[in-house]
Amino acid sequence: MKFDLSVITSNWQLFARGFGVTLVYCGVSSILGLCLGLVVALARLSRSVWLRGPAVGFVELIRDTPFLVQVFVIFFVVPASGLTISATTAGIAALTLYGGAYFSESIRGAILSVPRGQTDAAHAAGMSHVLAMRRIVFPQMMAYLIPPLTNQLIGLVKDSSVLSIITVPELTMATQRVLGTTFAPIEAFSMAALLYWVLTACLAALMGRLEHHTPTHRAARQTTAFLTVADR
Amino acid sequence: MTFEPRYVVQALPFLIRGARLTLEVSLFAIALGLVVGVLLTIIRQSRIKPLEAAASIYISLMRGTPLFIQILIVYFGLSEIGVDLPRFLAGVIALSLNSGAYITEMIRGGLTAIPPGQRDAAKALGMPNRYLWGHILLPQVLFLIMPPLTIEFTGLLKASALLSVIGVVELTRTSQEIIIGTFRPVELWLTAATFYFVMCFVLGAVARRFERVAAAYRA
Repeated sequence: MKFDLSVITSNWQLFARGFGVTLVYCGVSSILGLCLGLVVALARLSRSVWLRGPAVGFVELIRDTPFLVQVFVIFFVVPASGLTISATTAGIAALTLYGGAYFSESIRGAILSVPRGQTDAAHAAGMSHVLAMRRIVFPQMMAYLIPPLTNQLIGLVKDSSVLSIITVPELTMATQRVLGTTFAPIEAFSMAALLYWVLTACLAALMGRLEHHTPTHRAARQTTAFLTVADR
Repeated sequence: MTFEPRYVVQALPFLIRGARLTLEVSLFAIALGLVVGVLLTIIRQSRIKPLEAAASIYISLMRGTPLFIQILIVYFGLSEIGVDLPRFLAGVIALSLNSGAYITEMIRGGLTAIPPGQRDAAKALGMPNRYLWGHILLPQVLFLIMPPLTIEFTGLLKASALLSVIGVVELTRTSQEIIIGTFRPVELWLTAATFYFVMCFVLGAVARRFERVAAAYRA
């Protein structure tokens, strides 16, 4: 068996288009998922059982079932109730719900990592709850949020490959189309793996840079620098 | 379309058999994944630069590419080079190769929880490396990583749904095949989801219990 590069070079447009579709799907559903995750996280932290209950239920439901089965439920079960749903909508919806549930856990953890005294102080200074969240908690939680969020965004990108099963024309689907004409699975799937690898590596690098610019991270670095000087 | 419970009742024996296969495939995969994880850990500590680099690339690749693609590569790749494996075995191999990369990271985390003095003491006693690893480090690490390992097992349980694509007749594939015969996606998919939910939820509770025990051990 030898590795036939022409499989990749003569089909690069298909790969490029699939890569682009994967980017769009992941981009859109990450943003929607982050909004959903924030809402769910705040609901879980609320004092009302009527908000906490459904939020916990939603997160557990998503986390304890396979993504593939979620996709099937959205694509095959939801239409049975009379709603027509395209592969695009189903794909975005599945990724958003899935991402939202996982993101909400990181966001909740990050909010809880900000010391309680910070919010108490903000309230004592006369800030409303919303203002305290926006000005005090959110900026400080970023340093705690970014590392777990990076893993989950990478997970989202990887899991988007499952959408090929419901015919979303993303990278894995494109690869299978290449396979259909070339019958060279090793070459085609290696190329897909390489593209995913590049994408996740770039995502990790990007998030790493973002982490360096969060206020708490800068503050922490200054504190450690100060401590090491003091130690000497 | 209404939900008709009789289709669920009809499918139940088949779904239970599918769920058993799902559990089996995941159990084999986590066991083999543990072996891969330990091997990777040893390679990464071997101080042989090319081997270490190869292990890092392997881990990065496994963690940076979709499991779905990995399953397809193992399945098609093996038959391409003339190895004709049963689907079940191909599935176990794909899952465990992937899982090993995650497990080695857990082991690395677990190793940092063991006081370095133990390693020094073993060296001072002139213990050969295989004793150090086999009798001192690994038993403790395996105990310490039980909580994340259980979570990893639920991850594999969920991931094994992807093996339906290469024709392993586990829970998801069983549901698909019944749907082809009955045209009842609503009943079947909701039941299959419930099966997965119950399995993962129970295992999650087990993991939380392990976490308490391990925390007590560390303290």
